[in-house]
Amino acid sequence: MNQNSFSPKARWDRFEPEASGGFNPDALNERIEVLALFKHAKIFPQSFSWHDKEYQIEKITYNWQERIGQALISYFSVLSAGQMYQISFDNSTFRWQIDKLIQ
Amino acid sequence: MILHVDMDAFFASIEQAINPRLKGKPLIVGSRGSKMHTVVCAASYAAKVLGINSGMASREAFARCPNLEFVAADQAKYIWTSEQIFELLQGFNLPLNYASVDEFQMDLTGCQNPVSLGKDIKEQIYANFNITASVGIAKNWLLAKLASKIDKPDGLTLINDDNFESILRQTSLDKLCGMGGKTGANFIASGLKTCWDLYLNLPAFFDQNPGKFDENTGKSSQKPKSVSHSYTLPKVQINPQVIRAWIRLLSEMVATRLRQQNLVSQTVHLWLNGPEIGNFGAQKTYQTQTNDGYEIYQKAIKIMANSSLKNPRIRAIGVTCSSLFWGTSQPLLSEEIRKEGLIRALDRINNRFGEGSIYPAITSFTRS
Repeated sequence: MNQNSFSPKARWDRFEPEASGGFNPDALNERIEVLALFKHAKIFPQSFSWHDKEYQIEKITYNWQERIGQALISYFSVLSAGQMYQISFDNSTFRWQIDKLIQ
Repeated sequence: MILHVDMDAFFASIEQAINPRLKGKPLIVGSRGSKMHTVVCAASYAAKVLGINSGMASREAFARCPNLEFVAADQAKYIWTSEQIFELLQGFNLPLNYASVDEFQMDLTGCQNPVSLGKDIKEQIYANFNITASVGIAKNWLLAKLASKIDKPDGLTLINDDNFESILRQTSLDKLCGMGGKTGANFIASGLKTCWDLYLNLPAFFDQNPGKFDENTGKSSQKPKSVSHSYTLPKVQINPQVIRAWIRLLSEMVATRLRQQNLVSQTVHLWLNGPEIGNFGAQKTYQTQTNDGYEIYQKAIKIMANSSLKNPRIRAIGVTCSSLFWGTSQPLLSEEIRKEGLIRALDRINNRFGEGSIYPAITSFTRS
């Protein structure tokens, strides 16, 4: 089992325009600034800044990774002030983004 | 002895670990983002109690439970978690089999205390991923898999000589792996109701099935018999351009996998499903071998054109390539060399930026 062996259609859908109300209509995909701790080869985001507002991360509920081409994306579901967010880190560009609000 | 690990409502449990608000609630994971036009990939235990199961149309699931929670499937997190669990189990240094995305089997030969090991595995999975697994232990994988289902979720069951008869007497035949389809229906029609009935009639079934433990790490160097992709469309489609776009997309996906495995194919098979035509399938074998998505698409279109189908309404499409060979031949004609260069360039782009980064324009119609 590996990430290439499971429904490639979903990977094609990644590029579906959001305007079509496609696979992930909740997607935000906006750049954010993150304060993170890199420890024992793991990443622990502590807080992030989005639209000039600071969000303290109270809990990382889950994290997972996905290889997209040569990039390795690390995803985190995080809790801040009662709201869940999905944020991600791209190791090829060293950029963070907010993927979506988790409802 | 074999130890079988079966993750409990795997996809749904991961979504509940991600979002604690969903814990304990009836939840389905859908294969598409549109919650009323998809199929249930996984259901939480609270949803299963309401009769909602994998494979059910989401519309039917919502009819049974209007307050049902819905999450669109995200394969990356399920596969990643599955791989991490596999790595965790490798740490026990016992022969390990990657049975499926949410099932793992261990050969316990030489293990002194299988029940203690089962507890340890369950605890480690929960500590690392905040999700539960059910473990079954028995003399072969068929019984171990059955044992893992007996006390779900978060169960641990050992089938040994002491409880073999009582467990088989209490377990209906359809719970046994392989008894869900025609085989099970035939046995049930012939009067067998429980696993014990089957044992009395066919004792060898529980001893020989299967004979030996095949270690499988999920990576195989064997040549597959065929490579295929199929897809159920969000709605019935009659527009020929859109249908062709789907055939092209599936052909490209098949071709990509052929090239990843350095395979070429001689036979193309097209499968269509629609309300009027039911299941249509036809194939053609050619002298030339290919792993080019455009060629596979053209062959599939010819198969459709040569059939008696006249602008049919289509719900599902499948493209399969078989008669596979290792791709060793070098193109001789300049046009062929140019085409292969183009395919290599497209593969390099998709390998670098992710599959689907560059795609044939016609496949845009699949996104409308």
